[in-house]
Amino acid sequence: MCQNQVAAKNHLKPIAYQVEQIIRQTAQEYIFRITCSEEVKPGQFYEISLPKVGEAPISVSSITANYLEFTIRKVGKLTNYTFQLKAGDTIFMRGPYGNNFPLEKFKGGNLIVLAGGTGFCAVNSLLEYYYQNYNQLKSLYFLTGFRNQASILYQNRLAAYQAKFTQTIYCLDEEVKAGFKQGFVTDYLKELPLNKLQDYYLVIVGPQPMMDAALKECKQLNLALEKIWFSLERRMSCGIGKCGHCKIGDKYVCVDGPVFNYSAIKNLID
Amino acid sequence: MAFSLNYQKIDDILAKLSSDYDIYAPVRLVGEGKFSATDRIQYDKITRAEQIVYNEKSDFSPREIISPITQTLFYFTENEFIENLPESRSIIIFARPCDINAFKRLDKIFLENGDFADSYYKSRRDKVHFALLDCKGGWESCFCVSMGTNKTSDYSLAVNFNSKTVEIEVNDSSFNKYFNDIKQCSYQYNFVKKNKIEVELPEIRPEQIEKISDLQIWQEYGQRCKSCGSCTAVCPSCSCFTTRDISYKENKKAGERRRVWASCLHPDFTEMAGGHSYRETAAARIRFRTLHKIYDYKKRFDTVNMCVGCGRCTDTCTQLISFATLLNRLSQEIKKLSVLEEGVEYVSKSSSS
Amino acid sequence: MEKKNIDIDVSKLTSNCFRQSKVKGECMLQMRVPGAVIKAEHLKYAVEIAEKWGNGDFHLGTRQTLSIPGIKYEDVSAVNKFLQSYIKGVEVDTCGVEMEVDSNGYATIGARNIMACIGNKHCLKANVNTTELARKLEKQIFPSPYHIKIGISGCPNDCAKGHFNDFGIIGLVKPEYDYERCIGCGKCVEACQGHATRVLTLTEDKKISKDSCCCVGCGECIVACPTGAWRRNPQEFYRVTIGGRAGKQYPRMGKMFLNFVTEEVLLKMLANWESFSADVLNHKPVYIHGGHLIDRAGYYNFKDKILAGVDLNPEAEVADHIYWAETEYRANIHVK
Ligand SMILES: Cc1cc2nc3c(=O)[nH]c(=O)nc-3n(C[C@H](O)[C@H](O)[C@H](O)COP(=O)(O)OP(=O)(O)OC[C@H]3O[C@@H](n4cnc5c(N)ncnc54)[C@H](O)[C@@H]3O)c2cc1C
Ligand code: SF4
Ligand code: SF4
Ligand code: FES
Repeated sequence: MCQNQVAAKNHLKPIAYQVEQIIRQTAQEYIFRITCSEEVKPGQFYEISLPKVGEAPISVSSITANYLEFTIRKVGKLTNYTFQLKAGDTIFMRGPYGNNFPLEKFKGGNLIVLAGGTGFCAVNSLLEYYYQNYNQLKSLYFLTGFRNQASILYQNRLAAYQAKFTQTIYCLDEEVKAGFKQGFVTDYLKELPLNKLQDYYLVIVGPQPMMDAALKECKQLNLALEKIWFSLERRMSCGIGKCGHCKIGDKYVCVDGPVFNYSAIKNLID
Repeated sequence: MAFSLNYQKIDDILAKLSSDYDIYAPVRLVGEGKFSATDRIQYDKITRAEQIVYNEKSDFSPREIISPITQTLFYFTENEFIENLPESRSIIIFARPCDINAFKRLDKIFLENGDFADSYYKSRRDKVHFALLDCKGGWESCFCVSMGTNKTSDYSLAVNFNSKTVEIEVNDSSFNKYFNDIKQCSYQYNFVKKNKIEVELPEIRPEQIEKISDLQIWQEYGQRCKSCGSCTAVCPSCSCFTTRDISYKENKKAGERRRVWASCLHPDFTEMAGGHSYRETAAARIRFRTLHKIYDYKKRFDTVNMCVGCGRCTDTCTQLISFATLLNRLSQEIKKLSVLEEGVEYVSKSSSS
Repeated sequence: MEKKNIDIDVSKLTSNCFRQSKVKGECMLQMRVPGAVIKAEHLKYAVEIAEKWGNGDFHLGTRQTLSIPGIKYEDVSAVNKFLQSYIKGVEVDTCGVEMEVDSNGYATIGARNIMACIGNKHCLKANVNTTELARKLEKQIFPSPYHIKIGISGCPNDCAKGHFNDFGIIGLVKPEYDYERCIGCGKCVEACQGHATRVLTLTEDKKISKDSCCCVGCGECIVACPTGAWRRNPQEFYRVTIGGRAGKQYPRMGKMFLNFVTEEVLLKMLANWESFSADVLNHKPVYIHGGHLIDRAGYYNFKDKILAGVDLNPEAEVADHIYWAETEYRANIHVK
């Protein structure tokens, strides 16, 4: 083993950034805009890392040249704590980690994005990318569902996406609202003109039960399963392949994922 | 070159080595075992040969020397994280081939997995030299030969303690200087060639995983396992940890970020906010640990298995689960699966050799 | 009643460790088994006596004696003669009791057989070697004419029911916490909650805080801990309960007298029992439960006398008062 190597970068060390703006989405979910010009790809995440509180992996929900956005849902120790932050405060993070959606692969294809609940946070950067680079796809179908009116995310973007993308289907599980269908988002997959699309890719992101239901639906619809990408969520601690928490079979969600093609995970059991 | 020396001489040499190295070896904590009137054998710094427990397997592995159970990563204030990289001297660890091989397993995770090397692990690991302890035949729960970990070439010294004398093979010329004027002998390290138990490792095809995870055997072991996590705590190749922040009582704004060992046998290992866990049952957790040790790791790194067959998990289990027996049974079950799937007859190892 | 012409001094018979039987002409031998452990070879004596002089049955005495019913009075001296080697083997050779063993059987029944659970030679939970302790105590109390009942348990489970003896002795450990080894898994907390007194809690930092006041010293936390963060302190400790008894009038459970005393303290304290009894009983060794004896002397008096000359170890705790609680089948026992 080599002696006296110059100390390599300590990848567990959080870096200080500044909170530029905090945008309330729902009572439970805020967008945190962080000043940052690092190169990040849609699908990647950061470990938000606060002294005294701990760390949590959060997807980058919006990528621009000067800032990144994170949409955080308040569910536990760290996420609760972020809600006390104010614009101008320091926030510590480390990243970006993980792989990203295969933009090269999707090029020139028909893309279907199916997001449930906070899964929207993980795919929003992808949707924004295509919003700006729409010519890279033949068509884009976006389906998303929320529990009720109070949990609708990115209201303004929903409208913009609707205006631009080939087709959008928005639904609410529990309530009725104009512009929204009623029921689970997975139930509306079959309403897409799937048989007309020669070649398509499917991105599915959401809570585990939603993704399980979506996969079942895809199987029923006889979709080509190897064309499906999931973004997985597992308990994490280090985010860089050391702590073992996120391991499924021989895969580490933090380094091999969070984006996985179906064929890479079909033989994995938690 | 090999040397034979008495205990007085070896202590002189240990004294000289101590000025250049921190020396770690298994030591006996008399009466501090899990059960009353039993001892605990665990790694610690030593300065004299008589402290070294050379004729018993240690209860805990040497892993904690390089990857401490609780390790402070950073000292923090509200607006700063200050690194706490271990400043360590060079290290000599008295260890057996299985444990030395286990460090190679840990190296894969800490130094290679996920592109980044772990600075904390690396800063100590880079400084390690091994002094190979003679196994004197090994112990009943060992299955290093089955795991191919009974041998190693990664050692600076190999040491055989006898009641009056100590024989040392020097395998690293930088250590020659400590042995000037010492009587030479013809000692050569004896690697164990056969254990009392043999473990047959299962042949697993990726597409069988779902069926394998449905095997009844996991339910059975799940009923017996109390999820105490002792097996992961004594394992030389387990590497999992969790990060935790603590703030000081006196000054709430300052504190430490630490990592502590974690166990995949503990129910909260996969728990997410809201309480959902991916492996709710002991059966699922045993299955996960087993496959990690004898399948997943090997598949991922396209190398050897993670388990090194030291048998400490078997030694420590208060529910009397033998990992070796579990593996042998699993192999049989998987063979049965293969027969069912393919109608292929299998020839058992023993009858073919 | 059987019409037999029998003339026996029953009290002498009793102190020779034979018990009068309702069957006229018969009695039952009670062979001491200190700490309830003997070599298998010693068991042969019981078998032979039962087959040769008894009625063929064999009873496991409630005080862990080997009891042989159906012995004819005329055979008592033959049995006693045969017993000589058993008494020598068990009392002298095994326990180191300093006594002359003759052919007259047991010299006294005063100090009763010392009961014990199997202890740490076998049990996962035991904190002490109950057999060795029983043998040391046997050496100290036998053959004393003063009545004393001792029960020893390896851990606070008290399987040997020391709480119903004059002296209940319970093996304890003082677990030591190694902060650095603790991974905050909470297994010790669960164990203490499930088996003991719920004195452990997981702190916000995921380390352990312990309310030492009520730790019963069972060591469940040590056995539960995967990383060895709870260390077994090799120093063995004891709890001593006093005044426990069964009985028709007012059975009561013993109360804690000493906590976390060392073996040395324990042995020295019990060495004072004989002189304490002699004092209270005016040197007449009559049958009286230890609890009554303590009542008669008064607890504070008892405490002074039994701890006379005993240097307590630093960890030791002594009960200030004892609040007895009996089951009063006969009311107002303390009103005279
Ligand atoms: C790749 C990835 C991307 C994510 N993206 C987002 C996002 O964009 N927005 C969002 O609101 N949430 C996201 N999550 C979920 C988020 O990480 C958890 O909600 C968060 O970790 C909870 O931490 P806590 O301290 O508030 O909760 P606690 O329950 O107090 O957490 C305790 C510990 O468990 C870990 N943990 C708990 N739940 C999770 C979880 N679901 N995933 C990973 N670790 C967990 C925490 O990191 C922490 O170490 C993502 C998770 C992953 C794995
Ligand atoms: S020894 Fe004390 S702390 Fe440990 S389990 Fe028993 S009562 Fe609880
Ligand atoms: S069982 Fe051991 S490691 Fe777990 S919390 Fe208790 S002391 Fe810590
Ligand atoms: S989060 Fe630590 S290994 Fe993936």
